[in-house]
Amino acid sequence: MNAVRRIFGPALAWQSRAVLARHLRVHLRNWHTALVPPLAEPLVMLLAFGVGLGAQIGDLAWGGAPADYLPYLAPGILAYTVFMTAFFQSIFSAYMRMHFQKSWEGQLTTQVRLEHVVWAEMLWAATLATFYAVVVCLVLAGFGVAGALDLHWGWLPMAIPLLFLAAVAFASVGLFFTAILPSIDHMGLPFFLVILPIGFTSSTYFPLPAVPWLETLVLGNPLHHLAEGLRWLLLRGTPTPHLACAAALSVLFLLVLVPIDLRLLRKRVFGDA
Amino acid sequence: MPAALAVATAAPLLEVQGLVKHLGGKLIVNGVDLACRAGEVIGLLGPNGAGKTTTLRMCYGFLRPEAGSIRIAGHDLATDGDRARRALGVCTQDDTFDTDFTVRGNLEQTARYYRPKIENLAARIDALLAQFGLTEYADQKPDRLSGGFKRRLMIARSVVHRPQVAFLDEPTTGLDPQARMAVWELVAQLRADGMAVVLTTHYMDEAERLSDRLVLLQDGKVRASGTTRALLGDVVGEHVVILAQTVPDAARAADWLRARGDAPTAVLSDWHVALDAAGLAAFVAAFSGLRYEVRPPNLDDLFLALEKEGRR
Repeated sequence: MNAVRRIFGPALAWQSRAVLARHLRVHLRNWHTALVPPLAEPLVMLLAFGVGLGAQIGDLAWGGAPADYLPYLAPGILAYTVFMTAFFQSIFSAYMRMHFQKSWEGQLTTQVRLEHVVWAEMLWAATLATFYAVVVCLVLAGFGVAGALDLHWGWLPMAIPLLFLAAVAFASVGLFFTAILPSIDHMGLPFFLVILPIGFTSSTYFPLPAVPWLETLVLGNPLHHLAEGLRWLLLRGTPTPHLACAAALSVLFLLVLVPIDLRLLRKRVFGDA
Repeated sequence: MPAALAVATAAPLLEVQGLVKHLGGKLIVNGVDLACRAGEVIGLLGPNGAGKTTTLRMCYGFLRPEAGSIRIAGHDLATDGDRARRALGVCTQDDTFDTDFTVRGNLEQTARYYRPKIENLAARIDALLAQFGLTEYADQKPDRLSGGFKRRLMIARSVVHRPQVAFLDEPTTGLDPQARMAVWELVAQLRADGMAVVLTTHYMDEAERLSDRLVLLQDGKVRASGTTRALLGDVVGEHVVILAQTVPDAARAADWLRARGDAPTAVLSDWHVALDAAGLAAFVAAFSGLRYEVRPPNLDDLFLALEKEGRR
């Protein structure tokens, strides 16, 4: 219990909030440019894939019934946005701050300790990912208003806490790579080795084929459970065990990865295990 | 009470005892003790690999010592870390200011990383900007400043919360002479403000001018400490004889010195050898017609002496 408190306690400390506020302050200064990607990306994806490709492929067989591709895609985009944003922030932006800007080192010469910096990075990645998800929700709502999309809209706000939790977990994966990447030249590796496999086995953009080993494999993929859980929620209005699985796997990722991240980053930043 | 006596009798603001640290399986710091009082500047010296940076990084909490204790203004860094860190300020060797903020913004942002919060922060920052000559650059991004002004900002940032102990890790490395002297002035101001200052430097003149006391590290241990003169006398000797290798009889003089156990060190085209008063008298008597220079030892001689010790 003490170990859990030692690892997770700093998430709530004032030092973590101070660093989190720093990231927010910098982001808000550039809010007008920072808002373009989360607005443009889902819009482009929904138009290109949902409307364009959807018209080509027609209905999909999902959940024992046919479904249009656009509504099938919408919850997937929501889940994928959270995943990508959290991962990108915690691996690329955090690496920049740690290695090139040296803002971590500047913070660490104060009352802020490494565990606060690391938690602030994860919480910031999750905050931004959740904000981007809210923007995606607004884009989806726009499609709804235009009559192009019909979802169980009432469930959308209730999905936000789960999206935040999943984003923290994805950020802990990103920070693992931040800790071990030898240089920025290797930044492509986790995208090829982790992002793409997780993304392709997640049911975000297309239903997975009924292959036994694949069905077993995706049981451990929180993005798959998140996408499927949101899909059942938004398309059918039905909460399913996928949501609980996504939450449980997120907690498991955090329990396992946060101590490892802290240990590896301590070695990386201070040269000391 | 005279200022020097007050420094000597005050309780140390920095108390370091028995620090031990291995890095990469190698013993880097092996039982280092340090003490620094209010209004005192100590210079931490030593050749590369002596353990200066590792000692300093333990003192400001970057590294955890395997043994020993560090107390900052009476607070144990291991058990009362928040209070200890509130009482210390750090200027790292590299510039680590936040490039997303202006000069003023850096001071404001750094202040946000301290509790209890800094009272009258706006006035404190204005005062620091003026004290460090940064007022006209307050709204510029720090990466546009010259090297000297970047260091000023780094030092200003390290004291924004009015610490009692300041660690300055090579604060003038890479600066031109004018900028170095400006930083010296600032260090003198910190001392005058009653701060305990620990600095590391590779510049011997800087260590001599700024430090009230020097602590010499070698192989992870304190080799010697004291005033510059006392330390040089202990480690190097009283006099340094400089003899051009090209003058007639130089080779014979070098052999004579070696035979006495005072082997000279080659520095470019000269021989350098440290001698005590008796040794110098003997040398003068033995080589009355020889041209050479005799001067008091400086910190360069100290490092040469340490290097020589290391080779033995």
